[in-house]
Amino acid sequence: MSGPRTLFEKIWSEHVIVVSPQGEELLYVDFNLINEGQSFLAFDQLRIEGRTSRRPQQHLAVTDHYLPTINRALGTAGMPNPEIRRVVEMLDENATEFALPHIGWHHRDQGIAHVIAPELGISQPGMLITCNDSHTATNGACGALAVPIGGGNQLKHVIATQTVWLKKPRTLRISIEGALPPAVSAKDVVLAIIADIGVGGATGYAVEYAGSAVRAMSMEGRLTICNMSIEAGARIGMIAPDDTTYQFIAGRANAPKGADWPRALAYWTTLPSDPDAAFDKELCLDAGALAPMVSWGTSPEDCSPVDGAIPDPARIGDGDRRRHVERALDYMRLKPATPLEQVAIDRVFIGSCTNSRIEDLRAAARVLEGRKTAVPGMVSPGSSAVKRQAEAEGLDKIFLAAGLEWRDSGCSMCNGSNGELVAPGERCASTTNRNFEGRQGRGALTHIMSPSMVAAAAIFGRITDVRRIVGT
Amino acid sequence: MRPFTVLTAVAAPLEIAKIDTGMILPGRYMRRHRRPGHDYAEAFLYDLRFNDKGRPREDFVLNHPAYHDARILVTDSDFGCGSSREGAAFAVMDYGLQALVGPSFGEIFQVNCIQNGILAVTLPEAAIHELWRQLKERPGAEMTIDLPQQTVTAPDRTVHTFEISQLRKDRLIRGIDDIDVTLEHLGAIERFEAARRAALPWLPTARRS
Repeated sequence: MSGPRTLFEKIWSEHVIVVSPQGEELLYVDFNLINEGQSFLAFDQLRIEGRTSRRPQQHLAVTDHYLPTINRALGTAGMPNPEIRRVVEMLDENATEFALPHIGWHHRDQGIAHVIAPELGISQPGMLITCNDSHTATNGACGALAVPIGGGNQLKHVIATQTVWLKKPRTLRISIEGALPPAVSAKDVVLAIIADIGVGGATGYAVEYAGSAVRAMSMEGRLTICNMSIEAGARIGMIAPDDTTYQFIAGRANAPKGADWPRALAYWTTLPSDPDAAFDKELCLDAGALAPMVSWGTSPEDCSPVDGAIPDPARIGDGDRRRHVERALDYMRLKPATPLEQVAIDRVFIGSCTNSRIEDLRAAARVLEGRKTAVPGMVSPGSSAVKRQAEAEGLDKIFLAAGLEWRDSGCSMCNGSNGELVAPGERCASTTNRNFEGRQGRGALTHIMSPSMVAAAAIFGRITDVRRIVGT
Repeated sequence: MRPFTVLTAVAAPLEIAKIDTGMILPGRYMRRHRRPGHDYAEAFLYDLRFNDKGRPREDFVLNHPAYHDARILVTDSDFGCGSSREGAAFAVMDYGLQALVGPSFGEIFQVNCIQNGILAVTLPEAAIHELWRQLKERPGAEMTIDLPQQTVTAPDRTVHTFEISQLRKDRLIRGIDDIDVTLEHLGAIERFEAARRAALPWLPTARRS
């Protein structure tokens, strides 16, 4: 029998169909999510080659990237940009033609794929899940092996065969030990990790997040951490299932029911890494030493604790790093050594697959309650269900009273593919995952941070240490 | 897919680190249908190649006439990091590039390139810096990439070897579709599927609604 194994190794080996002596393995895909993004490239090619979907019921097409978050009631007529409307319509047509289940703009469950897959109980421990989106690792928070695939050839392959060729990554365990200080969230944890190891720091690794801080974390927080794995270069990020996971899944639409529940539970409890399992690499973080994080540059690794300052390239010894920081500060229109809290912002965005779940909205609303924002901004809940829940809790009224817009759900201003953009030269405090040049629109200046930090920035119109405002 | 064997072509040095897929193919181009005569050639690195007025930036390397016929790009680290957009690989291809050589690449992007017949080769940083030096010294100089031999030959004939998985190499050389390769294992896939569904009957399935 095999020796002690990691969570990743258990799930990976269980899905291998063909072991290639040449370094890549054919793995079975339990479930595949498809967004409208670039999937038309795959469907166009499948049509050309005369191929069909092998297992249509193991796919879910989800409209999220191109859907405007306003005028939803008008349907496609509410999408004034014809190119955007066309992409939305293409997924409708392709899902119909290939007989794929589809949650479109009109569906009661509409939302961001990585928000609704856990929400519907689709993402379960032990599964191999793929999606044509780089943030697919989000679903790894449910104890699944969730892998991003390309929207063209790889998606085409998954639809036609229900399998994927992958090179087995090495394993990296990142343990976050101790208790998080007040107002320090899962977002701050993952930003601190990325700042530490860099955007290429986990390339080639499947990351398992572990440690007492992760065990104490809600599913929402775990989903946020796994979500940003790709920002450290890892395609796979996962967290071992535990009681928090099981309680989250129980009762959801696709959760195991009746006699299947105890069987599923018995299987799931075999999945966590064995106590003496070896990882190729280990990292440890002290949760108690973390602070709210904010990005100042054009790469997710360019972030610092909010009480710090923008780095001075002149003091950076490494040439490549210095050149990058110089270029980043030039793009971001920031002066070296400026305290981060002196940076004024023009707008805020709360949303995206990183931070749009109910707990994220609650955290932002706690800061905003009874206050007014100094800058405009919008809140886009991660799913229609999150929106309904937030409205039931009265969070929408808090956001509206503070002066923010309360929108429908979608990827929205995270990358602006639905036309909702940050204007050139405008500085946005954003709960999203990427601060690349032009990510939120050409010339947009993005600062990524947690929902409560974005709320604090909104109130003062500048980057603000949320710990000053509330004793959260 | 066009087979890739040996390529000798003009190489351009691109000394900017962390060019992410959103810079390679700006988001606003991603909703564009890609068809002959209306492909992603224009979109490739648009914001680096063109100014706000849509005019070429004269100081950008690829706008130098010597690199007009470049088929090889010698990149800086983390080229293609960021989003998984496959259109970025199409933009590289439509622009006319057939190979990338750099110290490191975004992993998804690198896979997407290979899936589309573009070879993305990793060489040590020192070798890249030396290639840049030679290419800048003599703009328009040619390099050779020999996939069967796994070598990159610099303008001064220095030969560097690179690593690539045998599977990827075979597919690039034969220019074959990976679905064809996979479906040779259809029997094994079907047996696996039946056994898995029997063992884990609760695995989710979706329905059209």
